[in-house]
Amino acid sequence: MSDEEHHFESSDAGASKTYPQQAGNIRKGGYIVIKGRPCKVVEVSTSKTGKHGHAKCHFVAIDIFTSKKLEDIVPSSHNCDVPHVNRVDYQLIDISEDGFYVSLLTDNGSTKDDLKLPTDEALLTQLKSGFEEGKDIVVSVMSAMGEEQMCALKEVSPK
Amino acid sequence: MEEDRVLSSVHSTVFKESESLEGKCDKIEGYDFNQGVNYPKLLRSMLTTGFQASNLGEAIDVVNQMLDWRLADETTVPEDCSEEEKDPSYRESVKCKIFLGFTSNLVSSGVRDTIRYLVQHHMVDVIVTTTGGVEEDLIKCLAPTFKGDFSLPGAYLRSKGLNRIGNLLVPNDNYCKFEDWIIPIFDQMLKEQKEENVLWTPSKLLARLGKEINNESSYLYWAYKMNIPVFCPGLTDGSLGDMLYFHSFRTSGLVIDVVQDIRAMNGEAVHATPRKTGMIILGGGLPKHHICNANMMRNGADYAVFINTGQEFDGSDSGARPDEAVSWGKIRGSAKTVKVYCDATIAFPLLVAETFASKRTKP
Repeated sequence: MSDEEHHFESSDAGASKTYPQQAGNIRKGGYIVIKGRPCKVVEVSTSKTGKHGHAKCHFVAIDIFTSKKLEDIVPSSHNCDVPHVNRVDYQLIDISEDGFYVSLLTDNGSTKDDLKLPTDEALLTQLKSGFEEGKDIVVSVMSAMGEEQMCALKEVSPK
Repeated sequence: MEEDRVLSSVHSTVFKESESLEGKCDKIEGYDFNQGVNYPKLLRSMLTTGFQASNLGEAIDVVNQMLDWRLADETTVPEDCSEEEKDPSYRESVKCKIFLGFTSNLVSSGVRDTIRYLVQHHMVDVIVTTTGGVEEDLIKCLAPTFKGDFSLPGAYLRSKGLNRIGNLLVPNDNYCKFEDWIIPIFDQMLKEQKEENVLWTPSKLLARLGKEINNESSYLYWAYKMNIPVFCPGLTDGSLGDMLYFHSFRTSGLVIDVVQDIRAMNGEAVHATPRKTGMIILGGGLPKHHICNANMMRNGADYAVFINTGQEFDGSDSGARPDEAVSWGKIRGSAKTVKVYCDATIAFPLLVAETFASKRTKP
């Protein structure tokens, strides 16, 4: 069972990337780790104890980074891993020359340059066109389990 | 007179002279309790009691013929047979191959213990059943099945976590115990599949489960010990199938090959020769057809006993009489066959008492 699931190695010896939660307590809209991927739950159905054994929760979830649909069935009394999902806003400074990375301004004034451009076509187009037009853009970066991705952006009107 | 002529004409119509059956048919005679309560005599009297008692009596006869037959009984020895087959002492040792099939409700019932007896003493050669026919046997080793009533209300039982099988009750908890027992075994089997290239089939899986349960009350355990194959082509259709389903979410990849098993099952029939084959089938459905179909591969079984409550008017295979199987070549035209229209929980223990069990206890 998944009690011995591995946690991803992280260079910082800080908080773990996931925490355990009983399957029966995970709701629609919550997060869950399926096959090592952080996912957002879109559907939960419970089958009561019966011929198939213990009561079970059937999860349908979407990988928060790849948008792939994943499913899992877990006995409701068992623990599942729930990813810590963080969302941080950064101001966009630059898009790199080779077109892969962006440069972002962090809270404490330094720059964060390791974030890749989003894979989502619409977001990418919006980002590029907004930047070329010289608009002030604030990007939301979602991070979980050692991975991060730009998930939204908004244009800020200059003061 | 006119009236006399009419009267004698009517008389000859009503009292039509009959053909004498003396010496051609058995007389109907039931058991006389004045001789006391003698169970073996009581069972033997069924043959002349009529209706299904007679059919049961005939079934007992056919099964005894199955058990008594030896290759030595066949007086014509084919020219092209091997030297070994010509040897008289070899011919004395060759017995009929017996296929036993039964549905899962019978394993939930006490007939499971009758089946266990037959397997324990290697009195049958091949077993075919449904998934329930396997798991109910294993679950009984973990927790018991109880006697209930046909009339217990469904919604009430559901609220109490009780599952009804006819007038038997199986608590949900029994299936939870089964799940806890079997999932680690599937994990181990998957490991062996990946590391040792084991290709599992339903019969191999069942042999493994028989080994793992290690309990003398289980027929599956004895089938493993006696090397009697248990075929279950519909393995996914039951609690065991539910376990395979759940296991595939946690750790996917376990493969169960039905093709290998159909080779093995049909092979049991095809390669039976020079042995004769006999079928004892309790209930209908998959076990009945699977055994008959395999025997079709050898141009038909030589003996067939069906004990079931099915009717043929709806064209179902479950209700079909042995003669329908003859039309398919599943049973030989020359075969000895009987169908007993009776619930096997009554007929089968009585049949075993007068056949397998009494032959075993005789010196």
